[in-house]
Amino acid sequence: MTEPVLEVRSLRKHFPIRRGVLGRVAGHVKAVDDVSFSINSGETLSLVGESGCGKTTTSRCILRAVTPTAGEIRFRTQDGKSVDVATLKPQQLRPLRRQMQMIFQDPFSSLNPRMTISEIIGEPLLVNGVTDSRERNRRVAELLELVQLPAAYLNRYPHAFSGGQRQRIGIARALALHPSLIVADEPVSALDVSVQAQIVNLMLDLQDRLGLAYLFVAHDLAVVKHVSHRVAVMYVGRIVEIAPTEALFTHPRHPYTEALLSAVPVPDPRHRAKQIVLEGDVADPSNPPSGCHFHPRCRYATERCRTEVPTLREMAPGHAVRCLRADELALQGVTA
Amino acid sequence: MAEPILQVRDLRTHFFADEGLVRAVDGASFDLHAGQTLGIVGESGCGKSVTARSILRIVERPGRVVGGEILLRRRNGQLTDVARLPSDGAEMRSIRGGEIGLVFQEPMSSLSAFHTIGNQLIEAIRLHSDLGKKAARARAIELLAMVGIPRPSQRVDSYSFELSGGLRQRVMIALALSAEPRVLIADEPTTALDVTTQAQILALIRRLQQERDLAVILITHDMGVIAEMADDVVVMYLGKEVEKGSVDAIFHAPRHPYTRSLLRSIPSVLAAPRSRLATISGSIPHPLSRPAGCPFHPRCAEKIGAICETTAPAETVLPDGHAAACHLLTRAPATVPA
Repeated sequence: MTEPVLEVRSLRKHFPIRRGVLGRVAGHVKAVDDVSFSINSGETLSLVGESGCGKTTTSRCILRAVTPTAGEIRFRTQDGKSVDVATLKPQQLRPLRRQMQMIFQDPFSSLNPRMTISEIIGEPLLVNGVTDSRERNRRVAELLELVQLPAAYLNRYPHAFSGGQRQRIGIARALALHPSLIVADEPVSALDVSVQAQIVNLMLDLQDRLGLAYLFVAHDLAVVKHVSHRVAVMYVGRIVEIAPTEALFTHPRHPYTEALLSAVPVPDPRHRAKQIVLEGDVADPSNPPSGCHFHPRCRYATERCRTEVPTLREMAPGHAVRCLRADELALQGVTA
Repeated sequence: MAEPILQVRDLRTHFFADEGLVRAVDGASFDLHAGQTLGIVGESGCGKSVTARSILRIVERPGRVVGGEILLRRRNGQLTDVARLPSDGAEMRSIRGGEIGLVFQEPMSSLSAFHTIGNQLIEAIRLHSDLGKKAARARAIELLAMVGIPRPSQRVDSYSFELSGGLRQRVMIALALSAEPRVLIADEPTTALDVTTQAQILALIRRLQQERDLAVILITHDMGVIAEMADDVVVMYLGKEVEKGSVDAIFHAPRHPYTRSLLRSIPSVLAAPRSRLATISGSIPHPLSRPAGCPFHPRCAEKIGAICETTAPAETVLPDGHAAACHLLTRAPATVPA
């Protein structure tokens, strides 16, 4: 087994809530509350959950776009060292940034409209010391080929491109410095179905070719099924279930995962499944429910769930669940 | 079968932009019946939203309904061609909201942040009825309860920004149904919502439809939502209606290559992990550079030849109200695969 590229241990990010003229701290939003996982090279781990569950904040901590409150983010650098991204100073982070890159959701606002494609993709190279323009152009051409765009596009501006083409440009730019980890936050959710399929396939191909590790943040469980080796389900700042993809979809062990899966509309009218419609809304992370955060919406909740906080327990190899009743419940997954 | 409530015949809505003419909707025809859901599905730029806006006559400039009929069976049984009415006239204003309700995608931007949800509901109720302020308020609370908003008599005084996305969309539905319309147009009503909230809202629309025998036009890009909700389906591509039929025919016996490839390219929770998706080559053309002939021909894997590049295919009518516009259907004998 290879060593993980990324290992997150007990990550926490609490945002203070300030009130009044003095900005007194009145409480905390526990956006990320004790999250642990690891990703190997060549592997995709997806973080899924509904808005406000902490999946995006987790990914932003890993890239150090925000500084975590506590916990470790161990990243294996390309020269074999293990560093804790959570505590590095900004100048120590700089050399690491080329090794972990990001693909954004919105290909329309993430590309500078005043720069040509060649400048957009070449910029990270220039910033990182590739000053020879011939060498830079050679690498940019190579990257365009990698994301299957014609070299003739080099001197055009982003406005001339469709959403799918822009997302390819964003991917080429992310790959420019040979990263080992790609954090992709909803990379296909703004795209049309027919284009989304092309980008999903491209990401799979690039991973196989380059051995990239992906942290894939998404809310669309169908897309997640197509890209992931493993999936972590988050609810109000915590991972409630983490498992290999097939196991999570066919044999979920957490009632929230079961409800989430049953809510996904299946594109087949002969398959109008009996959905578990969850009552109410996602809990407020500044004032989460006692005990298991999910208990007010859980149809299996007992008195114990109201008071006792469940821990993440491994039920099968690689399959861990944060539910007090995980041993006794037989939950429904998705089946054809 | 009963008379349809709404019949759209060869609807054409064009945008006269400075850069050129955009045929946003270029020949859409369908019937809508009480108690039924018609799904209109397609990717961006296919004209599905403009179709909805045309029916309500709220197409923004430089767009205009330039042809076709939108026949609405009124409450009094009379047939009115909505396409002929002045868009800001009294009659159109009473139809809009009064007989046809609308739910938009973005509940945040379609509700006012300056008025309480109660006041917005009361305004809508009084616009289409002669209720007094007090009675209208009571009715507003009743509507909020009907769409499943907890503690409606307190929530009536809250502002939209105090509510979650799911509750806001419930308020939008209450607003759309405030004048008891018989037709509800829902334009991507769940696209901005989380999947569990989406399930709640779809269940709500289904329940209200059954209780009130509502005719629903559901516009979405999500084939899963269509499969879950629709009785009949219209598939659009670049302003053209490419295929229509019962939901089962569209999903299990699609006849247009675009419908077939669209269905194949959808990711599914039932797929094997890490399986590649079937793709449609290329991307959706810019509306100003729409291909001649069949609009789908540059991306079509089943193109016959020159005829697809030069001649727009006419609609071929198949059994059971199923129809598709493709040259393949006129070339080959129309055998329906089992």
